[in-house]
Amino acid sequence: MAAYADWHWRGRRFGIDPRCLADPAAGRPAVLGAWAHVCASPDPAAQVLFDSTEVQQARRDALAWWFARLGDDLVCLSTLSLDASYYGGAITVARSPDAFADDPFARIFGGTVERTDAFARVLPPPGPVLERYSGAPWPAGSFAPA
Amino acid sequence: MPHSSLTPGKRFPDLDLPDHEGRPRRLADLPGGDPLVLCFSRGWWCPKEQRFLRALVELQDEFEVAYARIVVVSVDEPGVQAAFRAGLGARFLFLSDAERRWLGPLELEETTDTTHAPYQPYVFTLRPDLTIHAAYAGYWSFGRPTLEELRMDMRAISRDIRPDWEL
Repeated sequence: MAAYADWHWRGRRFGIDPRCLADPAAGRPAVLGAWAHVCASPDPAAQVLFDSTEVQQARRDALAWWFARLGDDLVCLSTLSLDASYYGGAITVARSPDAFADDPFARIFGGTVERTDAFARVLPPPGPVLERYSGAPWPAGSFAPA
Repeated sequence: MPHSSLTPGKRFPDLDLPDHEGRPRRLADLPGGDPLVLCFSRGWWCPKEQRFLRALVELQDEFEVAYARIVVVSVDEPGVQAAFRAGLGARFLFLSDAERRWLGPLELEETTDTTHAPYQPYVFTLRPDLTIHAAYAGYWSFGRPTLEELRMDMRAISRDIRPDWEL
């Protein structure tokens, strides 16, 4: 995350479900030695609307079978938002990379696999809600009063 | 008859059960600020349950864009629920009470089925804080809520909890 503070850093900023980011002080311990499947591109043109059918269907697939496919290996999943409207990718974190070839989000932007200690365990959303909460990256957020 | 506390206006107990993947869950964590349909189901073997759950699958296409959630509780093992859920094409959560820990406290035993000792079919519509909006006894199939009744319950709850219902 420090890279974001370096103005020489060239990359893209994505919004992510904040529950996924490890923060032991907040009760979110890191899952060490996990694997991240980052389905995103450094190309600034790589963006599609969250409301597009391919992004909707990838979210449906996540609820229908992707979380189940990962089983106990799942650490967390978040889509990556560029702003309130645009999807820039998704990240799935798991204890093993074995299932990443089936990642439904890789249909939109191809995935790369990275080793990581930066993420915490987040249970899958109960479903079937696909819509986002005030532009938050799915499945983050809620309309419940703070 | 279910426990006397399972009536509209009362708070539903915060069930602690594994989901269809065996992950521990608490009912209070599931609404996430949205209204919830909580469906107690006999199990995968019952044709009436298969029919009703296919109807809920039909409804999920509306729920996915309407900020409302569905949870099904049965005595099936998680692995059985996962297979049943996949076969239905459901994208909502199942909770497994294979150990029948909540069956007695909720007084929802279906005493006429001594083979499976399941839940009697019951559907509750809940506010996000688990307050019961409506309860439907489904032992007889026509006692179950129609999809239209579930829509109306979701509308009533949503209208009440969304401060911007009328912009």
